Amino acid sequence: MTSIGTGYDLSNSVFSPDGRNFQVEYAVKAVENGGTSIGIRCKDGVVLAVEKVITSKLLKPGANKRIATIDRHMGAVSSGLVPDGRHFVSRARDEASSWRKVYKTPITTADLASRMGGYMQAYTLYSSVRPFGVTAIVGGWDSELELPVDGQVGKGPSIGSGGKVEGKKYGGPGLYMIEPSGIYWGYYGAATGKGRQTAKAELEKLNLSEGNLSLLDGVKEAAKIIYAAHADNKDKDFELEMTWISNLDGPTKGRHEEVPKDLLEEAERLAKKALEGDDDDEETTDKPAEEDKMEE
Amino acid sequence: MFRNNYDNDSVTFSPQGRIFQVEYASEAVKQGSVVVGIVSKTHAVLVALKRNAEELSSYQKKVIAIDEHLGLALAGLASDARVLSNFMKQQSLSSRLTYGRAIPLERLVSSIGDRAQTNTQHYGKRPYGVGLLVAGVDETGPHLFEFQPSGMTQEMVACAIGARSQMARTYLERNLEKFADAGREELVKHGLAALKESLAQDKELTVENCSVGVVGVRAEGAKAIEAFKLYDGMEVKQWVDLVAEGNETAEGGMEVDS
Amino acid sequence: MNHLPQAWGRPRDDVYGAYDASYLQSNGPNQHTQSPIVTGTSVVALKFKDGVVIAADNLASYGSLARFTDVKRLRTFADTSVVGFGGDVSDMQYLDRLLNSLDTEEAYSTSGHTLNAKNLHTYLAKVFYKRRSDFNPLWNQVLVAGLDGEGKPFLASADLLGTTFSSPSLATGFGANLAQPLLRKVAPDEEAASKLSQEQALEAVKESMKVLFYRDARSLDKYSIAVVTKDGIDLKEDEKLEKQSWAFADQIRGYGTQVN
Repeated sequence: MTSIGTGYDLSNSVFSPDGRNFQVEYAVKAVENGGTSIGIRCKDGVVLAVEKVITSKLLKPGANKRIATIDRHMGAVSSGLVPDGRHFVSRARDEASSWRKVYKTPITTADLASRMGGYMQAYTLYSSVRPFGVTAIVGGWDSELELPVDGQVGKGPSIGSGGKVEGKKYGGPGLYMIEPSGIYWGYYGAATGKGRQTAKAELEKLNLSEGNLSLLDGVKEAAKIIYAAHADNKDKDFELEMTWISNLDGPTKGRHEEVPKDLLEEAERLAKKALEGDDDDEETTDKPAEEDKMEE
Repeated sequence: MFRNNYDNDSVTFSPQGRIFQVEYASEAVKQGSVVVGIVSKTHAVLVALKRNAEELSSYQKKVIAIDEHLGLALAGLASDARVLSNFMKQQSLSSRLTYGRAIPLERLVSSIGDRAQTNTQHYGKRPYGVGLLVAGVDETGPHLFEFQPSGMTQEMVACAIGARSQMARTYLERNLEKFADAGREELVKHGLAALKESLAQDKELTVENCSVGVVGVRAEGAKAIEAFKLYDGMEVKQWVDLVAEGNETAEGGMEVDS
Repeated sequence: MNHLPQAWGRPRDDVYGAYDASYLQSNGPNQHTQSPIVTGTSVVALKFKDGVVIAADNLASYGSLARFTDVKRLRTFADTSVVGFGGDVSDMQYLDRLLNSLDTEEAYSTSGHTLNAKNLHTYLAKVFYKRRSDFNPLWNQVLVAGLDGEGKPFLASADLLGTTFSSPSLATGFGANLAQPLLRKVAPDEEAASKLSQEQALEAVKESMKVLFYRDARSLDKYSIAVVTKDGIDLKEDEKLEKQSWAFADQIRGYGTQVN
């Protein structure tokens, strides 16, 4: 690697002569070694899933959750350094709760992504800190209905709060991925971590931008994708963890919750079956690792 | 000569995305004497091997009671453990004062995890040089957590950290299925047996060098708890004698590496 | 308009004379709330065999003006507890937001830890006591209804002074004078309360609400009522007092609008 030995890669916030911040790129390396995380934005909700690689037989099965709740209607999953992921979640929770304190309404997924993008970017600016060693996927459901203002006592104004425009549609699913550089994009399907290449290829097959995939099918697809992404890393055991957020009429009523055990098991069963059927038509070979640069 | 330039502080990633200072801190854990923790459906136990600086000196403190419902065992820098355990005592007490509730273990352990993470992301700080095993009970039953200098915290069924702890972990892995239904006494014996695996060749378990901590619920799923109690000195004789008798555990037939 | 924001929206000084600020305190120690502004009246609650019944009317008064008539003064917490608020309505809104954020924090971990009604009451009492010790009280008296750690019915009050109290039946405000004796007749002690059926408890509470509407000039005949049991909360927020009988009214001199 050309960066090594030049001296420009020893401190955060320092540009190399060709305009790169190597410490951020190295942080991305930490992400690329982590278990695969994905998120799928369905028409009536969002699914988050993660491949938890089992590092020791002594770990308590089913414990050690990696997908966290940020606010009632929002969750996050990350790949990379697990303690950094917890830091991310802790800050995201603070942002969500301070938003509620100021605006008396839940934060939207887009706003949270923006706040967290800003926060992570700040950790690329100073030599006194290091960038986050995680890429985080945030999924949420922004209420499509007029919500009561937090703490309101009466019925409130008939037009509702927040200066809404009549006839315009509000709310819906939100899915964002935030990288160590602080850059973030909205996604139909997002993947990060070790198996991201395979996962991305699988996500693209789902034609998510058409907006036809239901949440229930999304859960099953997510399980399949994690199993497929793990196939390149077969020597290690893993646990699948999945959460979801449905619309207000759906199974979680707009809340971020764990996928129920029976549905999770059903999805895992289908995923294993799909994988066995796939074994003969092995087409994906490892693509060269893409250059993840800190984009402008 | 090759020199690693990426290991001077905890705010520098290596080109592979590693943080060497954090990895070095986990080496400090391996310098400490071994501690073992096991959890069953009703109890969580901690067992520790204590060292003394010299023949005539006292033995170090390895197990610390935090609150009625939990305690911890440490391996590594004892003074770092004291900072963390004092913080845990404050958090625990504050939960009892503001809500009249024993703090849930996961939350307490995460709070020190978050503190430790901060030390790995800011210049001028150093990671904690200690690993902890936290054992206790809460509304959801008995738990055992491992804390690492990286800020990583994990719930375990059984765990061993410290010098030569790999031998103890091997013992724990081999006997894993027995723990869930084991009784209180049995669990302590398994702990000591695991500890014994990790002893240096010329060492043996004595009442002087063993500490045992036990906490549990009165029955599976019960609310009433058996408060965390630390056993030292002659109080551990009953268990030490049992494990010292040859290489036999409670059920006999322990597998021995040679 | 001039460049001084404090003068905006005021009658012009040159026409109407300077604003008379003499009633405003200009020196001395800082003062916070000295009295509530928009208020809710009584909250009434009674324990029974498997839970607690709690009720409060839907009125928020501004002094003697019946200002808001659709105010929900029973607030749920985590689908396991109900808090009934008497006193200042904006302080109630503040506390409701506080409890909402506490509930959100509790739900971060999925491992099944929840604050029960007893924990919640301890917490609220601490908040009240802290605020009164800062000479900045939250002007409420609240009743917390739910279950305790053992799953037994729990009912307790906390107020703006940080005082706590527990009893098989409780009532705040005007209800402490009027409803409490009625409820004590139904459940004089814990043992009697533990024998009450849900129907009996509901009836006693509804009867109390009716008597309060007859005699409390700051009350309303629209009310909210909740039953808390281990199965959850049954909350109705738009109830109307039934079988009112005002026959007694014209017998009483000075009652209502009739003066002599």
